[in-house]
Parts: sequence; structure tokens; C-alpha cells
Amino acid sequence: MSAKDIGGVAPAAWLALSGLVVVVAVPFAAIVLQAIFPELGAGSFARPFSLLSQTLGDVRLLRMTGNTVLLGLCVVIASALLAIPLGVARALYRIPLAPVWDVLLLVPFMIPPYIATLGWIMTLQPRGYTEQLFGFNLTPVLFSLFGMTLVMTFNTFPVVYFAVSRTVEAIGLRYSDVGRVFGATPARAFWRITLPLSAPGLAASLLLVFAAAIEEYGTPAALGRRAGFEVLVTGIDTRVGDWPIDLPGAATLSLVLVIMSLAAFLLQRWILTRRSYQTVGGKPQNAEKRELGRLTVPVMLMFGIVAFLSTGVPMLAILGTALSGTISGGLALDNLTLRHFADVFGNSAGALGALTNSLTLGLATAVLTGLIGVVAAYVVVKTRIRGRALIDIMTVLPNALPGIVVAVGLILAWNMPGLPFTPYNTGFILLLAYCCILLPQTARYATAAFLQIGDNLEAAARVAGASGAVAFQRILLPLVFPSLASAMLLVFALASRELVASIVVAPVGMQTISTFIWRQFEQGSVGLGMAMAFVTIILTTLLPLLFLMLLRRGGLVRE
Amino acid sequence: MLKSIKGLVFGAASTLLLAGVAHADITVYTAGPQSLIDKLAEGFTGQSGIKVNVFQATTGKIMARIEAEAANPAVDVLISASWETATDFAKRGWLVSYTSPNAEKVPDFLKNETAVAQGVSALGIAWNTKSGTPKPAEWSDRAKPEFRDLVNIPDPAQSGSSFELTAALAGQDDFALFKSLKNNGAIIAGANAEALNPVLQGAKAAVFGAVDYITFGNKAKGESIDVIFPESGTVIAPRPVMILNWSKNQDEAKKFVDYMLSDEGQKLVAGTYLMPARSDIPADRPLISDLKLIDYDAAAIQGKRKEILQQISDIFGAN
Repeated sequence: MSAKDIGGVAPAAWLALSGLVVVVAVPFAAIVLQAIFPELGAGSFARPFSLLSQTLGDVRLLRMTGNTVLLGLCVVIASALLAIPLGVARALYRIPLAPVWDVLLLVPFMIPPYIATLGWIMTLQPRGYTEQLFGFNLTPVLFSLFGMTLVMTFNTFPVVYFAVSRTVEAIGLRYSDVGRVFGATPARAFWRITLPLSAPGLAASLLLVFAAAIEEYGTPAALGRRAGFEVLVTGIDTRVGDWPIDLPGAATLSLVLVIMSLAAFLLQRWILTRRSYQTVGGKPQNAEKRELGRLTVPVMLMFGIVAFLSTGVPMLAILGTALSGTISGGLALDNLTLRHFADVFGNSAGALGALTNSLTLGLATAVLTGLIGVVAAYVVVKTRIRGRALIDIMTVLPNALPGIVVAVGLILAWNMPGLPFTPYNTGFILLLAYCCILLPQTARYATAAFLQIGDNLEAAARVAGASGAVAFQRILLPLVFPSLASAMLLVFALASRELVASIVVAPVGMQTISTFIWRQFEQGSVGLGMAMAFVTIILTTLLPLLFLMLLRRGGLVRE
Repeated sequence: MLKSIKGLVFGAASTLLLAGVAHADITVYTAGPQSLIDKLAEGFTGQSGIKVNVFQATTGKIMARIEAEAANPAVDVLISASWETATDFAKRGWLVSYTSPNAEKVPDFLKNETAVAQGVSALGIAWNTKSGTPKPAEWSDRAKPEFRDLVNIPDPAQSGSSFELTAALAGQDDFALFKSLKNNGAIIAGANAEALNPVLQGAKAAVFGAVDYITFGNKAKGESIDVIFPESGTVIAPRPVMILNWSKNQDEAKKFVDYMLSDEGQKLVAGTYLMPARSDIPADRPLISDLKLIDYDAAAIQGKRKEILQQISDIFGAN
């Protein structure tokens, strides 16, 4: 990075910092203090460190930690294997029906993991949907590390797919064409030039996948426990949900998780700072894509199979259950009913209120995290302000914080007696929780995007007389906006379905989509829960797409 | 463009504010069914004009919230799914002594100075009637070959009532029954709802120790499922209602407890297939007087909770 001193970035830095303090530092500090002072919840600082050694000395901790890392790595590797070929093909070649595949590969991300897992269980268990339709079940495969990896990968690989297709597309064929001119084979040019250049986006997305995998609760709880595979998050949940409550223990275990994700982050940073990845310069890009030619059949097959497994199977299972009058009735015509959907739209048990709450919260979270994320990323990548490393770390801290621990941290911080104003017990506490959990998404994507923009562009604007703010708004922001917009879209989807933090921290009398679904499952109304899940997935997929389309028409996003 | 974003943000902000600022007179945390508390709150508000704000979750999640809120607690009335909560909170001195005039018909073992049951659930065998297995009558029937690999046990570490049943039965024969269940392929399968779901679809034939009211509810919806209470006895889980001593609205809270124990309130409880706490309210299901209860020392097994859970997880090989 060239040395420079841009005036006018100080306000931006302060904005990012104050946002980060409220959203990240406050709950995080509460969690650290809780780990140290066991009686913090009662407002007492007595007996510091008294429980720390007991938690860290637990013999099961080592196994849980090992399992967590193992599961995280499995999901990362599987996601990479699945997503990179698809993403590269999408970026470099003219794929028939490309937008349709994009939507189909976006859907798995919109399916809440616990719902997808339940869908897979109901499909593959004995007398499940595959046995009812085709006469076989795959129970032993499902309840294993392999099954967990598969289900979680189908859920998270879209992150990698979209990151790879965007970054490789931005790089285009120009650089590898240079390689070709100098005699490299197409494969060699890809491995030595295109793939390394797309490293920022790839590494950032794999980091998010790793963090999501080690922090995921639903799938390991449903599939892993039966296989005796306990991870840190299920351990944390036991400590929080099992009387007597062990909040200090839960806080300590989540700090272990945070350290893991920080280590992954530092590794990613180390990889990225070894060289420059600037590919977006002032030169015009040739956006021409190649024809698939004889690759057409295998590539289309690949897209088809992945889309069917990741979107088709869970969605069919959800729809099948939602349309069944009773579960024991199975897939039979006389068991077909629209009752559960009628219940959702008839506002049974407050379904419509829950939908409105979650969609509003999702939107607000996307806007807020987008704002904080892009400013923080700009400060970190494009300025040399002191303390920017701290900002960078703060944007990654919540990455692996389990939702339930964020919830406890927020209650500890905002429910202190004597605060002049508190968001606690209002909808704003959910907004804070979602922003904290999801900020890494926008911040990581924006950072990766800024890393690829050459400094010469901003310098040119400055030479031509633009202020720092104008250069940011007119040059940099439009260039990172495609990445930022897709990150905000993901945040919207994730926020509108967040479960674990919502259950604990939701203000009295307020339901969200996920707490609604969860309550239906708890009370045995699986059909109604699945109907709500189906409506939600369709809405959270269509709304952001519609929004992007409007933006495109407004000329804010190219393509 | 920017303007419309601003509009959206303000819209969102005002919606959130309105959602939070509803000033309620009492705050109730409940581990009971959402539909029940909704009806109770509606009926109570209609009668007294006092508004009820509700937070509903599992007992564990509610306890986590109360623990984290301890510096500045918000809850007035707590309805737990486990009597153990009432014992523990009383020991901590967190409860208000109150005996509702409507509690007269509540049997003595379902009330004490600081807590009274709202309703009672019992544990039974939830059995899929279309599973092709013979109808079980006893706990031990599930160790028979017809039930090989077809039995789910709700995780005693996650479900308070499942723990009571497990501990009570294990105390009778020193875990012999559970060892034979394990040898017959029974598995520990998550909390109550997770254990029941595979039985509904038919992947498993029976839940060993299912919470009865949820299963009765499913049966009423047309699922091919039934609840069997073994002759040898079962355990019940009274759901205690408590008023917290930090409550600033104790008079209103007492009125809420009165309403819940009134004819109207108890009929609402019966409507969810829970057994009403009052013995003079009828319900469309077997009542406590119809059930044989296992005789065991509840305080003693709670004291040995860790050891019992450890033994169970040793037998079933998980954790």
C-alpha cells in the first residue's frame, strides 16, 4: 500500500469506531467480565477467576475443542470443493440460465440450518420421505460426522460460491490471457494466475464458513449428539440451559471459540498481506465470457446435482411436511392439506406479527452492518490511521461468538441498574444482537473488495481536486458496492432467521420468525412450523432479489 | 435513493420502538405452551384490566435470562415446567409467600407457601399405533425384541421431567432396565419434541417417557399416536407458579395467580391437555387420581443429579 495521508478520514474512523464499540465491544466486554467474575449477573465482582480453572480443567473440553476444529475444517474443505469449480465456471464462462442457477444456489443460504437439518432427517430416516417414495433410508450416513459435514456444507457453500464468482469475474480473463500469451496452458494460467488473484474473496469467504461452522448449534445438536460428537457450542448450550445455570462456564467456552476464529482470521490476514491483490485499476475491463463448448454437459450436470441436493431436497421436505395434515399420515393424497398455510396467513399464534418483526429487523440490521462494515473496512484498508488493526480485530471478534452468549452479554451490559436509557426489553436489543453477530459478514466482504481496488484510482480523484469524502463516495463506494450489496443481502437473510440469541433476548411479548417456528416445533405443531419456514424462505429469497433489481434499474449496480 | 433508505430506517426504528414500549402491568415468564399463556393473559386482562406481558421459552432459557438479569430483574410471575425451580428459588429467598383463595381445591402435594401448580403433566409411553409393534403396557416392554432399534428416550440432561422418570426407574433396579434398553438399540434423542418427531413419522415406534400433554395434543390433531401410562407407575411434573419478591406489582401478580386457579383459568389449562391443578376441574384425559405414581425421594435424586446423568450417559455411550 502506498504511503499517503488523506485528510477527512478521521470522522469516518470515529464513526466506525463508535459503531463498533456499541455493537461489538460492549457485549464482548460483558462476556469477558462474566468469565472472570462469576457473580457478575447479580452485579457483584466477588470471587474473580474462581471458576475459570474449573471450566478449563474439564477433561471434556479438549475433546469438544478437537471436535469443533475437525467439524469446522471438514465443512471448509467440503465447501471449497463444491463451490470453487461452480464459482469459477460461473465467472469465466457463459452458463445457460445463469441467473436461475444463482437463485437456486442462493436458496440454501436462506434455509435456516435447523430447518434444513430437520428436513434431511425427515427425508432420510426410516419411514422418511425417501423410504415412502423410493424404499430406502440412509440413517447411518446421516447421524455421523460425514452427515453433519454434508448438511452444513449444503447450507454454507453459497457464501464461497458467490464470493468466488464475484472476485474471479472482477479479475476477468485479462491477467490469465497475459499468461497464455507467454505460453501457459489454460489450466496453468488458471492455477498460477486467476486462482491466486482471487485469494482475498476466497479466503474471506472460507473464513466466514469456518466461523459459521464452529458456531453452528442446530445441526451438531440434532445429528452429532446421537453419534456422541459433542462440540463447544453444544457444551455451551448445556451450561446455559441446564439448571443450575453456569454462565461463567459458557462465557469461558465461547472465548475458546473466539480464540479459534481469531486464529483463523490471523492466518487469513497473513496469507493476504504477503502480496498485492489489486486487480481493479483504471484500465477498461473486457467482460466477454467464453463459451462452454464441450464442457457444457458436465458443467450443467454439476450445477444440476448441487442445486438439487442443496435446494431441492430440503425445500421439498419442508413443503411436503407443511402440506401434510398429520406427520404420521405420510405422503398420501388424503393427507394433503393447505391448512397450515391458511393458519400462517390467518395470523394463527401471531405468525404475521412475527414475519413483520423479523423482516423489519433484518432490513435494519442489513443497513446498519453495511454502513459500519464499509466504513470500518475503508479505514482498515485504505488509511494508515493508528489503531486501525484494532478496528479490524473488532470486526472479526463476533465471528465465532455463539448467539446465546451474545444474548447473555447484551443482557449483562444493558440491564444494569441506573442506565439512563436502555434498549433492553425493546426491539432494539434484537437489532443490537443481530448487528453484533452479523457485522463480520459485511466487514469481511467490504475489506476483500477494498483490497482489490488499486490506490491509483483514489489518488487520481484526489489529484483532480476531490475531497477524501467525495473520492470515497464517487469512486470507491460504487466499486465495492456489488460486494457490499450481496453481503447485506446475506445479512438480511441471516438476521431474519436468527434463532438462538432471539429466544433468550427477545423483548417480552415480541415474536420473531425463528422463535415462532421453534415454538411450533416444541409444542408438536411441526406442520405449522414448516409452513412458516417455507413462506419465510421464499420471502427472504425474493425480497432481496427484488431490491437488487430496483438498484440495478436505478443504475447503482452494474451487471 | 438515499432518502428512501432514510425513510426505511426511520420506519423500522419506529416499528421497533412501538413494539417495545407497550407498558404492561405485569410481566410473566412461562415455560408452558404459548397458546395457553396467550389465552390466560387475554382472559385475565378482560376481567381485571391489568395487562400481561409474556416471555415464553423453555425452562432452561428462562433461567438463563433470569440469571443474567439478576442485577435488575424484570419478571413478576414465573411459571416453570419443573418443580425443582420452585424449591431452588425458595431456598434462595427469591419468592413471595402467597396462598391463593382459589388454591383450596389444589391437593397439598401440588402447593406450598411460595408456589402452587398451574397444571400437571405426566410421563407416559408415546406409541405410534401404525408402527406394526404390539401395544406396549409396561416400561420394560420396550426392552423386548419387537422394539429393537425403535425406541427414543428424551435426554434426561435436557428435560427435567425425563430426568425424574429416569432417576425414579433407575433407583428401582440400579439401572438394569436402562442397560437392557440400550442393548435393545434404544437411543437418547434430544429434548422432548425431538424425541417425539421420529415416532410420529414412524422412524421409531415409541418414546420412553414422553410428556403426555403434547402427545395428547398431537393425537387430537389426528396423528396416529397414543399415550400409555404403565401399571407399575410413572412420574408427574407439576408446573409451579411463583411470584418473585423483587416484583413491584405483587398485588397484580397475586390477582393473576388467583385468575389462573379460578374455574375459568383451570379450564383453559385443561384445554391444553394438561391436568388442572385443582382436583374439582374435569379434563378430557386421565387425571392424577387415575395414575399410579412411583414412590421415590425427589430431594435425594436431585442431590445426585450429576452422578445419575453421568451413569446414564455412560450406559448410552453419548458424551
